[in-house]
Amino acid sequence: MLTWGVVVVLAVGVYGQRALGMALINPKLMGDRSRQVLAMVPLSILCAVTALQTFSSRGELVLDARVAGIAAASLLAWKRAPMFLIVVVAAAVTAGVRLL
Amino acid sequence: MRQIPHGTSLRTGEAWAIAFTYFTVAITVSLVHSTAGTPTWVIVAATLIVNSATATLAYAAVTAAGGSVAAGIAGGWLTSTRFGVLAAALAPRLWPQRWKRALAAFSAFDPNIALANREEKDEDVRRVYVAMSLWLVLPWWLGASIGALIGDLVSDPKALGMDAMFPALFIAIIRPQLITQNARLIAVSGAVVALGLVEVLQGGLPFLVAALPALLALRNREDRKG
Repeated sequence: MLTWGVVVVLAVGVYGQRALGMALINPKLMGDRSRQVLAMVPLSILCAVTALQTFSSRGELVLDARVAGIAAASLLAWKRAPMFLIVVVAAAVTAGVRLL
Repeated sequence: MRQIPHGTSLRTGEAWAIAFTYFTVAITVSLVHSTAGTPTWVIVAATLIVNSATATLAYAAVTAAGGSVAAGIAGGWLTSTRFGVLAAALAPRLWPQRWKRALAAFSAFDPNIALANREEKDEDVRRVYVAMSLWLVLPWWLGASIGALIGDLVSDPKALGMDAMFPALFIAIIRPQLITQNARLIAVSGAVVALGLVEVLQGGLPFLVAALPALLALRNREDRKG
């Protein structure tokens, strides 16, 4: 259960980390090589987030209906389907498999 | 909501897909907090000022599992460390003025950073970042408020497959970036590292380590030298 105090402390910590990355570190001090690496960081982290949200739950690896939904989403993404369709089909397939 | 910057790679459909996903997931997140006993106004405030579902959900998960308040807060901070790394990744392409970046940092999420990052001109990076932050944060706040108000009227968000929406959205964002061999290698490595570490490391640490495959970006340069 969240309380006002917890919300404020969480907010300070989360914004602090975002501001540290975006504003407190001086980008001018970064060389070409650092920029090249940083440009790929979102891709790497996004794939990590996707993998964990597909194959894990509360810190444990699990296989459940989501895998079917994400498989369908991947297929559609591969065929360059619209993003909206990809999201809706993923939810529908996941819900459908859970009904079985 | 028709603000799509012209001349960028951002498409209206993408903006709507992200808005829809964040709106729906926000409802779910609020319902989770609501069932954990959090009062409505605290949920709304948490959405507005923490501006990160992973942080508040991690707190809820740790404390629901019997963890102390301090452990819950530590969990919340740890799970959101990736936003700091993502923010640092985009920072060199944003405004030179520090105060503007400090303001922009508040809405550093995964999709707006990933979509802004794909622009070639720094000016377009800024326009897409601002536009996508609004397309993401406004539906997010709206959905979270609705979810907090309707409480437990929606009995089971999982039955609607809502937990598959975020990863599906991310796949749609990742797909167009997999055009080079290096990008594909980094993508697979990021996923494999995270899956390998999820049961070993706490909270958001697997995400942090999963940033390391980005170092593979230097691979081509090394090749040319050799």
